[in-house]
Amino acid sequence: MQLVTANNLGYSINEKRLFHNLTFSLNSGCGLHIKGGNGSGKSTLLRIILELTSPSKGRVDYCKPNLQVSYLGHKNAIKHYLTPMQNLELIFKSSALPEAIKWMHTLGLNKVQDELTANLSFGQQKKLALIRIFASQSDLIILDEPFVGLDNTSRDLLNEFLQKKLASDSSLILTSHIEPNVLCSELVLTDNADD
Amino acid sequence: MINFFFLEAFKLRHKLRSWLGPLLIMILVLIAFPLSIDVSQYDLNKFYFSVIVVSLLMISFLATESIFSEDYEDGSLEQLYLEEKDFYKIVLAKILTYVFFIGIPMAIIGSVFSFANGVSVTEVPKIFVILSISTLILFNVFAFGSALSINKGSMLGVLASLPLALPAIVLLGRGVRTVQYGGGFFEVSALMAGVALIVMAIMPIIISATLKTHLE
Amino acid sequence: MLTSFIHRFSSPKSFVEVTTRLFPYVMFLGFSCLALGWVWGLAFAPEDAIQGNSYRIIFLHVPASIMAQLIYFFMSICALMHLVWRVKLAAYLIKSAAPVGVMITFIALFSGSIWGIPTWGTWWQWDARITSTLILFIMYLGIITLHSSFSNAEKADRLMSILVVVGVVNIPIIKKSVDWWSTLHQPASISISDGASIDPSMLYPLTISIFGMALTMIALGILVSKLYILNREKNKKWVQAHV
Repeated sequence: MQLVTANNLGYSINEKRLFHNLTFSLNSGCGLHIKGGNGSGKSTLLRIILELTSPSKGRVDYCKPNLQVSYLGHKNAIKHYLTPMQNLELIFKSSALPEAIKWMHTLGLNKVQDELTANLSFGQQKKLALIRIFASQSDLIILDEPFVGLDNTSRDLLNEFLQKKLASDSSLILTSHIEPNVLCSELVLTDNADD
Repeated sequence: MINFFFLEAFKLRHKLRSWLGPLLIMILVLIAFPLSIDVSQYDLNKFYFSVIVVSLLMISFLATESIFSEDYEDGSLEQLYLEEKDFYKIVLAKILTYVFFIGIPMAIIGSVFSFANGVSVTEVPKIFVILSISTLILFNVFAFGSALSINKGSMLGVLASLPLALPAIVLLGRGVRTVQYGGGFFEVSALMAGVALIVMAIMPIIISATLKTHLE
Repeated sequence: MLTSFIHRFSSPKSFVEVTTRLFPYVMFLGFSCLALGWVWGLAFAPEDAIQGNSYRIIFLHVPASIMAQLIYFFMSICALMHLVWRVKLAAYLIKSAAPVGVMITFIALFSGSIWGIPTWGTWWQWDARITSTLILFIMYLGIITLHSSFSNAEKADRLMSILVVVGVVNIPIIKKSVDWWSTLHQPASISISDGASIDPSMLYPLTISIFGMALTMIALGILVSKLYILNREKNKKWVQAHV
């Protein structure tokens, strides 16, 4: 079933065109890997799909009502003045908290669960941020450079998780300079890309 | 919305400097004023209110300086927007949390200090009422300034929102005058309450539109 | 239908073409009316019974004060058009009108201070009308500063429009301040509801000065907005052809 469709998407900023005439669709259980050089508009395209940013032209339609979307961008959306455990209490409702705590153990963050997040390494903070994705029950996962900062074990864990989600009919859109180990169609953004 | 209120309260509880800092500065300013004038202090009770009003203005600005910028910078604002498309509910919850944890204590501190400077104990509840309503208005106005200048520094926020806060100060001054010299307290406080209700209804919507513009 | 009408007549290209043609006439008419109003008021209008000749600054102060408020009101209409219908030209006009508004508000405050010396014995008084006009001056500065702080021009336009719309609450406060509060400042000399409170021999040059000031401000606005539009749209073919 079709989940997301984009028709003739275009985006300009300060009269400079980033991309135009982008048309694509995403079905359930499918992945889309958006590729492109630095500044080609990958993150902007993700934000347009999320309806955080309005496109200059075209539109994005969600075909499934009440679509559950989980997103992790460049920013981790975690509070540095809280501990990992407190961050999870902030992010998750009490019903979803046990699942989140389980992932915290899986990712090895239980050893630092009572330390201030500001004192954690970049990779540890990234893993904490990824728990938002791991523990959510979403139909569509959108990730912007999710592999940055992760060690090999965590990278494999994330790949495995994404494969499982695709197999269970969830969909995935991601940007990554590191090639993911999941089956995805590719969308390449170049300068004045047409599709 | 209640859920967002509790989440904001949870965050604020762990950010001691954000809520305790403004209150301590207010206490310092209110203590410093009598020390800075002549020791005879005969007319302290007449113009002490000006200090309370001005310190309320300054501290309201200080308290709301990072109400949105922290969430914007660490990406939490995007996540909140994805979670709740009626963004004004989040804004309203944030402002109400700040009013409850910082604004109301500010009003209490102002009332206590006014009592310490000659206001009779029967008038103190009146002072508390008008200061509380004022913090509600001022927090909304300065939250708007913070939202406009979210990552551009606090000076821009002051420049944008202070002209809107000054009419609120005029009203507050009018309210203070009714307590000092009697007459018309109910009318002025009803007017202030009406203004506060209008501001509470409109400002969160305007602020959420402003934040949405920043997220784009 | 309304939306298509607005979009048809709000193209920056049409605006520049139309205003380029109109500018010389507006400027000439504005200067002429100002000159007529000021010469009449300064040289031929009779002395005031109480203030003597010091009242003659009214022919600068009142037009400037009216323009200060009207320009902001114009900006607020443009802001609504930009926010609701996403009209780019409206945002360009707000950005262009703001410096004109700052200038004329400063003239109003300065001329009022000069008038205050012989009438009130003071340069400044913290009364409602003067203070709210000072607030308007600061608001203009805030709008200009806000827009200049953002490198993303579209975002800056939108935020500026939001600020202008919120700040319009100050205009009725300025207008009605002399009625709502007992202030040092005199009530309005000309009122739509109550008519004029000054003699016709002073009223006519005052009205002509107001009209002349309005046209001069429009001419100034046209100059500033044309420059700004050409700069913002510099990558468009019509600008390159025009320049």
